[in-house]
Amino acid sequence: MNSILRLWQTTTVRLTALFILIFVLASIGLLAFIAYQSSIVIQQNQIRDIEREIRQLQRTEDRRGIRAVAVSVQALSNRPGPGIYYLGDDVGRMLVGNVSDFPASVLADEGIHSFDYERAHAFSGDDADQSPEGRSGYALVESVLLKSGLRLVVGRDIVERRSFTAIIFQGFFFGVVGIVVFSTLAGGLTAMRVLKRIDGITATSTKIMSGNLSERVSVTRRNDEFDRLATSLNAMLDRIEQLMQGLKEVTDNIAHDLKTPLTRLRNKAEAAAREGVSAEERQKALETTIEESDQLIRTFNALLMIARVEAGTPSGALTNINISEVVSDVADLYAPVAEDAGMILETSVPEGIMLHANRELIGQALVNLVENAIKYAAVPGQETAGITLGLRETDERVIIEVADSGPGIPERDREHVVERFVRLEKSRTEPGSGLGLSLVSAVAQLHKGAFRIEDNGPGVRAIIELSKSA
Amino acid sequence: MKILLIEDDREAANYLIQALDEAGHVTHHAADGETGYAMASGMDYDVLIVDRMLPRRDGLSIVESLRAESDQTPVLILSALGEVDDRVTGLRAGGDDYLTKPYAFTELLARVEVLARRSSPTEAATNFQVGALTLDRLSRKVERDGETILLQPREFRLLEYLMKHAGQVVTRTMLLENVWDYHFDPQTNVIDVHMSRLRGKIDKGHAQPLLHTIRGAGYMIRE
Repeated sequence: MNSILRLWQTTTVRLTALFILIFVLASIGLLAFIAYQSSIVIQQNQIRDIEREIRQLQRTEDRRGIRAVAVSVQALSNRPGPGIYYLGDDVGRMLVGNVSDFPASVLADEGIHSFDYERAHAFSGDDADQSPEGRSGYALVESVLLKSGLRLVVGRDIVERRSFTAIIFQGFFFGVVGIVVFSTLAGGLTAMRVLKRIDGITATSTKIMSGNLSERVSVTRRNDEFDRLATSLNAMLDRIEQLMQGLKEVTDNIAHDLKTPLTRLRNKAEAAAREGVSAEERQKALETTIEESDQLIRTFNALLMIARVEAGTPSGALTNINISEVVSDVADLYAPVAEDAGMILETSVPEGIMLHANRELIGQALVNLVENAIKYAAVPGQETAGITLGLRETDERVIIEVADSGPGIPERDREHVVERFVRLEKSRTEPGSGLGLSLVSAVAQLHKGAFRIEDNGPGVRAIIELSKSA
Repeated sequence: MKILLIEDDREAANYLIQALDEAGHVTHHAADGETGYAMASGMDYDVLIVDRMLPRRDGLSIVESLRAESDQTPVLILSALGEVDDRVTGLRAGGDDYLTKPYAFTELLARVEVLARRSSPTEAATNFQVGALTLDRLSRKVERDGETILLQPREFRLLEYLMKHAGQVVTRTMLLENVWDYHFDPQTNVIDVHMSRLRGKIDKGHAQPLLHTIRGAGYMIRE
C-alpha cells in the first residue's frame, strides 16, 4: 500500500493519470462526432435508395400497368433484408407487401416518415431470435400515392444502422479500457524506474550527509537525463570534497606555520619580562615582538584574502580595467627594487588591453609573483639576472607572464608550490608566509583563468591566464 | 586637536586615548553607536574615529547620518573587515579613510593627523614649498635652490603627496594607497626603495636634508 502511495506521489504517475483522462475525454468527443456524422450520411443514402425504388416502381406502373407493380412489390417483399414494402388500396387494405401495421399518418400523407414497428420476422438471418426485442424494429419509409390511386410505401428497417453505432461505441469502449490499462502499466513501470534512480541518488546523499564524502552517485552508460544529473552532482561533490580537503590542509598548516611564530613570539615576550634584563635588551625584544606579530598579521590577512577570493567575490567587485596599466604600474613600482637587488626588470606590455577584472587582486597577484622573482631569482655572482614582465592577449584570454632567469623550480615541485604554506626547503629561512602563489592561483581562478609555472630554461616562467569572459 | 573616538572595545579605546593624549590630542570617547552619534552631532571635533561594528548603532550609519546633516568632519573608519569591497562600502558611506584592524598606532596617528588637516587651504594649492624646495603642480616643475630637479611622473606624485602633507608623518601604506592606489601591505621594502631614489634627487649634495625617515612610522618632509 505504501509503495502504491509512493508511486502515486511520483510525477510520472500523476502525469500518466492526467494523460489518460485527457485521452478518454478526447476520444469520447471524437467518436460522438463520427457517430453523428455517419448516421446522417447513412440516412441520406437510405433515403436515396428508397426514392430510387419508388421511381422504378412508378415507371413500371407507367409502362406495364399496376399489375406489374404488384408483382414487383411482391418479389421485393419476399427478399430477405431490411426492405419494407407495402401496396394497398385507398381504404388502407394491404394488397401485397411485408409490413402492414403503419401508423395512420403514413397511409394518409405522402413523404418521409420514421416510426417503431413490429417485424413479421427477424431479418438478421438469425431465425432463433424471435424475442420481442428481436422483432421490434425502427422504420424509415416514404409513402406515395400511385396514379392508379393505390398507396405505395417503400422503406428500410434501420435498426441495422443503429447496430452500426453500437459497434462504434463498443470499439471505443474496448479502446479506452485498453489505453487505460496500458498507460497505467507503462506509467507505473516508468515511475518505478525513475523512483529507483532517484532512490539511488537519495541513498548516496544520505551517506554523504552522514560523513562519507567519498560516496558518488552511480552513472549508467545510458547517458540519459539522470546520468547527466548524476555527473553534475558528482562534479559538485568532487568540488566540495576538494574544498574540504583544502580546509583540512589549511587547518593542519595553520597549526604548524602559525604556531611556530606564535611560540617564538611568546618566548621573546617571556624573555623580555624576565628580571635582570637591561632596558636596552628589553626595548630590542619588544621591537622584535612587534615585528613578529606584524608578520603573523600579514599571514592571517593573506589567508583571509585567499579564503575570500576562493569563495568567489561578488561580481560587483569586477570592473572593466586597463590591464596594461596595472601591469605597467607594478613594473614601475618594482623596477627600482629589482635594480637594488642587482636585477633588471623588463616589460613587454602592449597598451590598452582591457579586461573585466578586479584591479586590486590582479595587482596583488602580480606583486606576489614579482616579489618572488626578486627574492629567489638572484644568482650570486651573476650580475645581470633579469625578470621579464609580459602581457599579451588572444581572442579569449589575457596572459600575464613573469619570467626570470634564476635557478628555477625543479619540475616535481612546480605544481606543489601553489599549495598553501608550501615553501621549498631552501626558502624556509627567508621571510614570507608561503601563501603568495596560493593567492595568485585563487585570483586566477576567480577570473575563470588558471595559474601555472613553466620552465624558463633557466629560471621560472609564471603564467596567469585570465578569461576575457569572466 | 579634538578627536572623538567611537569604539566599543574598552581596552583598545583606553590604549588609543592614552596614546593620542601623549601625541598631544584631546580625545573624547563613546562606547556605543547611539552615544557616539549624539556626541558627534552635538559637538565640534576635528576628526572622528569610528569603529565599524558597534552596539546599538552601526558605525557606517553614524557616518551616513552625519553626512546627510552636511557635517563634513573628517572620519576615519576602523574595521576588522579589510577587503577591497568593504573598504569601498566604508568610503562610499562617507568615510574619508579606512584602517583595518589590527593596526599600528603610528599608522592611525599619521592618518588622523593628515585627515585633520584635510580641509586646510594646502589641499587646493598649486604650489608647495618646503625650505628652498618648490613644487609647481601646474607646470609639474620641481626646483631646489633655483635648480631644476627632473623627476619621473611617479616620483613627482610621491613628492607632491609628501609636500602636501609637509611636517606630517606619512606611512608607507599611505604612500602606496595615495601614489599607487594599491591597498595591500607590501612585504618588501618597495616604498623605501622609491623613497631612497627620491631622496637621492632631492637631498643629494645639500647640507640640510628635507626628507626624513621617521623610525617605526614612515616619512616626513620638513625644513
